[in-house]
Amino acid sequence: MSAFTKLAPSARREFLARVGSGFGALALDYILRRDTLEAEAAGHVFDPLQPLQRRDPHLSAKAHSVIWLFMEGGPSHLDLFDPKPELERLSGTPMPASFGKVITAMGTASNTLMPSKRRFSRHGQSGHWISDWYPHIARNADDLTIIRSCRADGLNHVGSVCQMNTGDILAGRPSLGAWATYGLGTSNENLPTFVVMTDAAEVLGGPKNWSAGFLPTVFQGTQLRQGNVPIFHLAAPMGVDDARQRGKLDFLRTLNGRLGARRPEDSELAARLDSYELAYRMQAAAPEAVDIGRETEATKALYGLDNPATEKFGQICLRARRLVERGVRFVQCYSGSGSGWDAHNDLEANHSKLCLSSDKPIAGLLADLKARGLLESTLVIWGGEFGRTPFNEKGLGRDHNPWGFTTWMAGGGAKPGTVVGSTDEIGLRAVDRPVHVHDLHATILHLMGLDHERLTYPHNGRGERPTINAGEVITEAVEA
Amino acid sequence: MYCRPQPFWATVAAFSLGLLAVVPDARAAEAVGTKDRLHWAFHPVRRAPPPADSLKNPSLGRHPVDAFVLSELEARGLGYSPEADKATLLRRVYLDIVGMSPTPQEVAEFLADESGDAFEKVVDHLLASPRYGERWARHWLDLARYAESEGFKADETRPNAWRYRDYVVRSLNADKGYDRFILEQLAGDEIWPEDAEALIATGFNRHYPDESNARNLMQRRQEILNDITDTVGSVFSGLTFACARCHDHKFDPIPQADYFRLQAFFANTAADDHIPLLFGEAKSRYDERLRKWEGATRFLRAEMEALEAPKRAEILSDYVDKYPEEIQVALRKPESERTPFECQMVAKAKLYIDPSSHQYLAPSKAAAAKLKGDQKKRWEALSQELEKYAALHPGPLPVATGIRDLSGTAPATHLLKRGNWDSPESEVTPGFLSVIGRRTPEAPSKASRSTTGRRTALAKLLIDPSNPLTSRVMVNRLWHHHFGRGLVATPSDFGVKGESPSHPALLDWLANKFIAEKWSLKAMHRLLVTSRAYRQSSEHRPDAFRTDPENRYLWRYSRQRLEGEVIRDNMLFVSGRLNSKMGGPSVFPALPAGMESRGGWKLSPDASDRDRRSIYVFVRRNTRYPMFETFDMPDTHEPCARRNQTTSPVQALTLLNSELTHGWAGSFAEKIHRESSSALGDQIERAYMWAFGRPPTGEEQKIAEAFMHSQARVIEAAAIADPERGVSPEAVARRTALTDLCHALMNSNEFVYRF
Repeated sequence: MSAFTKLAPSARREFLARVGSGFGALALDYILRRDTLEAEAAGHVFDPLQPLQRRDPHLSAKAHSVIWLFMEGGPSHLDLFDPKPELERLSGTPMPASFGKVITAMGTASNTLMPSKRRFSRHGQSGHWISDWYPHIARNADDLTIIRSCRADGLNHVGSVCQMNTGDILAGRPSLGAWATYGLGTSNENLPTFVVMTDAAEVLGGPKNWSAGFLPTVFQGTQLRQGNVPIFHLAAPMGVDDARQRGKLDFLRTLNGRLGARRPEDSELAARLDSYELAYRMQAAAPEAVDIGRETEATKALYGLDNPATEKFGQICLRARRLVERGVRFVQCYSGSGSGWDAHNDLEANHSKLCLSSDKPIAGLLADLKARGLLESTLVIWGGEFGRTPFNEKGLGRDHNPWGFTTWMAGGGAKPGTVVGSTDEIGLRAVDRPVHVHDLHATILHLMGLDHERLTYPHNGRGERPTINAGEVITEAVEA
Repeated sequence: MYCRPQPFWATVAAFSLGLLAVVPDARAAEAVGTKDRLHWAFHPVRRAPPPADSLKNPSLGRHPVDAFVLSELEARGLGYSPEADKATLLRRVYLDIVGMSPTPQEVAEFLADESGDAFEKVVDHLLASPRYGERWARHWLDLARYAESEGFKADETRPNAWRYRDYVVRSLNADKGYDRFILEQLAGDEIWPEDAEALIATGFNRHYPDESNARNLMQRRQEILNDITDTVGSVFSGLTFACARCHDHKFDPIPQADYFRLQAFFANTAADDHIPLLFGEAKSRYDERLRKWEGATRFLRAEMEALEAPKRAEILSDYVDKYPEEIQVALRKPESERTPFECQMVAKAKLYIDPSSHQYLAPSKAAAAKLKGDQKKRWEALSQELEKYAALHPGPLPVATGIRDLSGTAPATHLLKRGNWDSPESEVTPGFLSVIGRRTPEAPSKASRSTTGRRTALAKLLIDPSNPLTSRVMVNRLWHHHFGRGLVATPSDFGVKGESPSHPALLDWLANKFIAEKWSLKAMHRLLVTSRAYRQSSEHRPDAFRTDPENRYLWRYSRQRLEGEVIRDNMLFVSGRLNSKMGGPSVFPALPAGMESRGGWKLSPDASDRDRRSIYVFVRRNTRYPMFETFDMPDTHEPCARRNQTTSPVQALTLLNSELTHGWAGSFAEKIHRESSSALGDQIERAYMWAFGRPPTGEEQKIAEAFMHSQARVIEAAAIADPERGVSPEAVARRTALTDLCHALMNSNEFVYRF
């Protein structure tokens, strides 16, 4: 049928050899090829003709994949993981001057201090302090590495969400998932390798949070939508059945093959030919990967799919596990997407709902990964773009706090049962062992086997790296 | 590397007499050693004639561009490829200059024209077409990081940003000199304060992403200034100034002081989103109508205002109270008592609290929404009454969005330690690159009451013929787009880490020629595309490929993937759907079903608007139009001189499966039906002519026929007859097979590349 398949076998072989196989068939132009040489000189090697080809890590990788549970809007560390008895004592008084001056998003710094209404207790052998908002997660306490001294640079959501993803509060830099994909390539060519899922509205700042920035766009994140067609244009429009699609693709392959045969040196044309075959395979692979209908009732219950309150985020967590099982490297799951955790007015009402909706799914994910032996190779991260202030806003809420907040990790080489750093007596600022966003990024990459200082890409005259000019691996948080 | 503070006397001297002399910073110059001056980009532009005589075949060097290119090729034992066949060349130059392929008629005419200047005539025709401005404006908008929204959280619309896009299209079509183009964009408001074009042009420096809701206005102002400095430095001078924001540039002779000296030109600027575009009599007529309306509605409005005022005050104070104390102090002061820096802070707060702002937090309706009971009823009654006078109102004043200075006195600019907004060190005065400062003349800037004149001074430095960067950078950008790769392959990095020029003598000759041609872009386009270098074939040559695999020396024409915008335009054009209406507010074609866009994406109600050229598609900073983004449209957060070029399955899915491309393929097939006989062979030939600008070969004809037959059988098997219209299943299948043929052609490499 197809003239391409009628090409002389040797011509065809030569043609395809250039393309490599699978996702490796993505090609860039010659300028990028030279950039590659520069990147190589700077310490990182990738072949722009096969940008998603699997690449060796710099270091021995502990985490094959990352699942990042992003509590968007800023969960309150003071009411979840970082109890502050001092706030009881100072309740109702303005913040003592000794804690220094801060500019806050809503101008609340002179409001009175507000203690937590939650009950904290210690859990597991590690004795991690976790509040009664997260009872299921608390049962997994010994898996957690809790970093209580995180800090960031932004005051407002969009800059801070952007920084947590890209390292900078100003948009334009590549997301950490894009860097990881650039560094390691893919291990499943039929699926996107950096995936984003949301449970509510659009993430503040939108797709630029998973953008490839100045890296080639092939490294950008793909948002998987709910429902059966998780990627735009994954299926042909109604009325185009498989036979018709296949017929058209075969003809297209003939057209492109004939043109390519006249230009055997042009690997980009060959790559474009092959990209249609990959697209065709992805049409089948992606819906299968997110089809949770194939899971047992017990598994579904583990993630809370049997309860309307936990069903939505539970589905996302379960999809995350299925993706990781299929080799996807970087999965981001947004809880409260569209700044849901942003409790300015009524912390109790806001967090009660969001903690309920995320607690069981997250605990289920940890337990399920562990039971399947995947937790060792999967780094789970929980956190927001910042925490919340010890002083009140409008009496019952808390303002944004980028000066001190909590992030935790589990699995993937993170050191279980450990606490890193602390905030001051009222939980305003990180004081002991402050951990900047760049340090978090350096650590995540380290666990994936990438050295954040060697992972560079030439851009505007600079060998850019994920951590800009800073970042240190948090050695205390990493298993030896 | 650390620069000591500027001596006090220097500052005083610079500001005395109200004159701001732009002189090289002595210490900055010190930091820039003589060795740095040797870097080629900072050399004066040389004046070597085209080396035609030294060529093996001097007749080939009659075109000056070819004399230079061939001499480099010959030095490597290479020569040009044969001329491209006429059909390929025609399609190439059409897609290059106007962004659409030639019609079958145009192909036929060109093939029939055997005169010696047939190609030159085509080039002139294309450059005179308004489609040229629409095509090339996109290249400039990439550099201008043009978007129609703020970015950040809410990504609010900038309702008049599109006027800048139209300004660029008009400027290109009118072949405005590049010198004037620079003057208008940097300082149009200072030089031509009553020229609407010049005022709109200042939008260039307004296209920064902005967190308009930020509380820390000091930081926000600094980020805006950084964006402007980085952008101006890279776009007009091709240098990576941004690398010198936190420390002296590690590779190029740009001391940190030079970064802030460049920034100081913009120290007193602020966004102005309400620049009136009516002047003289037109403005008087407008004002008179407005006064009539005001007079007729005075009492109504006064009563409404009395109801609204307390609510308005609530809304505003709720917002203002959240600012840091020093900002609140500045806002409370009378204007005359504010320092220049405080004026800057107040200007930054204006977007939300100024009644004339499109984002004013407390317009009538918002204030009224807080009213209750009788007050609410009364307000509604008054509002209805006011509505009756609507016909008297002259309508909203047409306004542009751009920048201006806030007064004749700028706040001080300081060198910032590590680039941090809150770590000011020594004060700096406006100045251009120290490394070439010695050669650029002083450009005194004259302050008036309303503006510092600083940007005029900068613009004049940039367009001074002795500035070695401006013309080199621009001709290289043109070369980059025509040939797919600049003579300097890093068009916005002429620094030490950028690529060295492949043809330095040619670059300099072109830079001089550009100025001699009065900075005419069209003259340069014509010069470049009529060269033999441009007209040669892009076919493979194994011997030359071994010597120069990157085609750096131009032994063939480099084929290029079309940009996403051009792919869409050309699909619309070929399918007969393109709506060629020019200008005006942007349009909103359909997004993939289920896709959201914060800030709004309201599908254009008039379906024909959805088929307008890509340049008119709304540019939302946080949500690029998906088809464009997939095909590497750059992020609009910084200038882009050279797009990435990727190939991905997502691109394939977009062109293969989207409702849009299926719809276009259907229209294309209908057009073929109308334009040709019902014979399969005729239809295939016509489809090839439209899609590729050439007829199919005999073998291609056979392959396409075989496809149509087998595809029709597949479709017929799925039995989708249309009995109501009396069309047999066979006829439906044949028609659908033609649609599939058209769809496949538009997906093919031959369609999405120009060869």
